[in-house]
Amino acid sequence: MVEDTHTALKRMLNFNAPPLKNTAAEPVWKVLIYDRFGQDIISPLLSVKELRDMGITLHLLLHSDRDPIPDVPAIYFVMPTEENIDRICQDLRNQLYESYYLNFISAISRSKLEDIASAALAANAVNLVTKVFDQYLNFITLEDDMFVLCNQNKEQISYHAINKPDIMDTEMEGIMDTIVDGLFCYFVTLGAVPIIRCPRGNAAEMVAVKLDKKLRENLRDARNSLFTGDTMGAGQFSFQRPLFVLADRNLDLATPLHHTWTYQALIHDVLDLYLNRVSLEESPGSEASPAGARPKKKSKKSYDLTAADKFWQKHKGSPFPEVAESVQEELDTYRAQEDEVKRLKSIMGLEGEDDGAISMLSDNTAKLTSAVSSLPELLEKKRLIDLHTNVATAVLDHIKSRKLDVYFEYEEKLMSKSTMDKSLLDIISDPDAGTPEDKMRLFLIYYITSQQPPSEGDLEQYKKALIDAGCDLSPLNYIKQWKAFTKMAAAPANYGNSGVKPMGLFSRVMNTGSQFVMEGVKNLVLKQHNLPVTRILDNLMDMKSNPVSFIPPPQTLQTFLLLAIVFVVGGGNYIEYQNLVDYAKAKQGKRVMYGCSELFSATQFMKQLSQLGQK
Amino acid sequence: MNARRRHGPKSSQEGVYTGPSQTQSQLVQPLDTPQAIPVPHAPLVDTSNMSCRDRTSEFESVCKSLQGRQNGAQDIKPVHNAVRQRSDFTLMAKRIGRDLSNTFAKLEKLTILAKRKSLFDDKAVEIDELTYIVKQDINSLNKQIAQLQELVRSRNGQNNRHLQTHSNTIVVSLQSKLASMSSDFKSVLEVRTENLKQQKSRQEQFSQSPASSSSFHDNSFSNSVLMQDNSNKADISIDMDLRSSQQMQLLNEKESYIQDRANTMQNIESTIVELGSIFQQLAHMVKEQEETVQRIDANVEDTQLNVDLAHTEILKYFQSVSNNRWLLIKIFLILIIFFFIFVVFLA
Repeated sequence: MVEDTHTALKRMLNFNAPPLKNTAAEPVWKVLIYDRFGQDIISPLLSVKELRDMGITLHLLLHSDRDPIPDVPAIYFVMPTEENIDRICQDLRNQLYESYYLNFISAISRSKLEDIASAALAANAVNLVTKVFDQYLNFITLEDDMFVLCNQNKEQISYHAINKPDIMDTEMEGIMDTIVDGLFCYFVTLGAVPIIRCPRGNAAEMVAVKLDKKLRENLRDARNSLFTGDTMGAGQFSFQRPLFVLADRNLDLATPLHHTWTYQALIHDVLDLYLNRVSLEESPGSEASPAGARPKKKSKKSYDLTAADKFWQKHKGSPFPEVAESVQEELDTYRAQEDEVKRLKSIMGLEGEDDGAISMLSDNTAKLTSAVSSLPELLEKKRLIDLHTNVATAVLDHIKSRKLDVYFEYEEKLMSKSTMDKSLLDIISDPDAGTPEDKMRLFLIYYITSQQPPSEGDLEQYKKALIDAGCDLSPLNYIKQWKAFTKMAAAPANYGNSGVKPMGLFSRVMNTGSQFVMEGVKNLVLKQHNLPVTRILDNLMDMKSNPVSFIPPPQTLQTFLLLAIVFVVGGGNYIEYQNLVDYAKAKQGKRVMYGCSELFSATQFMKQLSQLGQK
Repeated sequence: MNARRRHGPKSSQEGVYTGPSQTQSQLVQPLDTPQAIPVPHAPLVDTSNMSCRDRTSEFESVCKSLQGRQNGAQDIKPVHNAVRQRSDFTLMAKRIGRDLSNTFAKLEKLTILAKRKSLFDDKAVEIDELTYIVKQDINSLNKQIAQLQELVRSRNGQNNRHLQTHSNTIVVSLQSKLASMSSDFKSVLEVRTENLKQQKSRQEQFSQSPASSSSFHDNSFSNSVLMQDNSNKADISIDMDLRSSQQMQLLNEKESYIQDRANTMQNIESTIVELGSIFQQLAHMVKEQEETVQRIDANVEDTQLNVDLAHTEILKYFQSVSNNRWLLIKIFLILIIFFFIFVVFLA
């Protein structure tokens, strides 16, 4: 999916001509102008260097002060909102650029097109507006099999917005429209019409109905359809329609609150991961600042986690101790290669006086050439190793200070309903284990996953302990309501059996040279288990149960589906994503893609829950 | 007439998706008139499966209808746009770009020729000509780019900052293209030298007599001045010795000795060339590193961070000022004093 979006973007940057392969083509210089939506879409996919290679000399925000550059074509990549259209008209009036290629992220309406046309006429610039395109790219591709809908206005389509009790119909309509628009763009870019399945009775069903309607309308107009014969035929999924599973967040509220143990999910939970970029705060050492001086600025470092980073691709789903070991291994191999290069340097320095020097020279220069040409790779490797070392150290610090491993183990046991050795109350009243938020999360998971709610007395005890620890109890109100509501519906989701085997407390498996001395951190091993969303997908893929069929499959029932897309309305997170990835790996030949309307960490989700609970 | 029609044909092709070459050529060679062959209205485009929709035709029809409503008083205006002059900078940059792509094409041809390893069908003359031409081209491109850079620097004051960044980026990217092309050229030369050496060794295997000075001359032409000097000297020494027949033996020995020396010289020379290219690549890499890992939202975050810090500082200062009770008291006292003075002295 990343490739499709990537190709679409590159094509757009090439004035909507298919990109030419040869480097011998003459360079055409252009300027790229985007708004915040466009920025979010482009930044995980194209780096500045790639933009430069495509001839983009400047990239600017739409609503900034832009100076005129009179003889350069400009490519706009914006959403068709009122303010953006006004700004474009202003640009046309000020005659900033030579020609304008307008690309709208989702389809622009007729009335707005007329606005631009009248502004262009007024400015005598009609000939300058060379092309107007609808790009249908209103989603953000984070990974090859993961996408998110918009990031900028995510409060409008957040879980809170969808589930708040005083929501008005118009608001709901608006939210549904936004989500359906994003999904429609996704399917247009994918080039396939899906079979939609969803559970009944909640927001997901509304989205499914609307999406179905939109797809049918589009298909009906055969001449103008976006899914014409060529696109269908050329796509990979021409003979099979993908399965599209819509799920609602209310199915499973425990997973977003869960503490996690895999690398990518941990980074998202503990550090600040936004659009594949992680920001770390590095405090500049522990010297006491002289009295009266301004507090030292904490420098923020940010790192990009891209598809080109092989270490990341391999280990983003592995449990954390494995990651630590692998970083150590990579560091060792890197040092070995560095020594090799240094050795060559000494060889070159030594021989200079012998007669046989000249004959040896060519041999050594060959070695030197190969060493030097491998230098950029070495440097790149070093940079990546540094990156992962810093990130992993930061994560480890958090784990140690908040005792996240304890939480993880406990929650796994809760979710699998096995017996627990420590009581919940102990953990909550333990002052060093974790922030109040962690304790609240643990308690909420306990509440959600227990078959019967705890008795009043117990509940009071817990509440008191939580308040002592400093937690805010408003999410609890909301969860109580939710639980009452869902009890009337299907049986509470069970989370499957998971066994968690602690591999010895003070694991000295780490050699002493390792930076990651994990004393006191249990080396936990995850056994495979399926989250509710994965289980639904599993049932559907094997056609075992049929919750609701929406677009009924054609008569020739396909016996197996190769591609499934799971979309969670109301928000998703990396834990579910990782679970789906593992599931897909286990099943040969099937691909699973994951999408959500917004991507939140447990902290953000808690905030939304407390807002809901306060109403 | 031509200049006037520059933008004309684009709008007359109603929503036609002209092929890529035509679109690009329209931008680049403003003086050509592309053929305007109207094709019936096709809303969705052509060959490749594009997941986007072209609304240009719709836009143009809207414009026409709006224009019609305004009684067409303004359709003479397009002249104004077309006559606009392109700045010298753009013209020069485009010219350099065109020359670069031409040279690239020649270099590709040269690469294909140089890779052939057959002993008999060796197009030495063509290769040498091409090499010479490419070398000249690279030199002239270098000079042109240097001129362009001078022009950009001299205009530094007059240009606004975006235009300046734009110009600088163009110069940098032209330079990097030239650098990559010259490193390709060097590798092609090295491949060629390798092939020549192999050919010579094969020739030596097949023929007993020391390699004729003719092949020697060939080598000297495609390598550097160093070699040429040597071959000239060798020529002279051979000529002088040819007179005495007794020294035929000596001649042979000398020739082989000279040849050995020439070989080693060749080796050293190519080695030095390699080293030179290595250092050049190193410098190039260091420059490139900075932009490789940047993303477009990097600067935005930096500026935002700075703005936030500045904001907090200002807030702090504001709070200190507004909470400064002493200041309030002092002002109040002064007011009271003035009040008393007025009341006492004027009452």
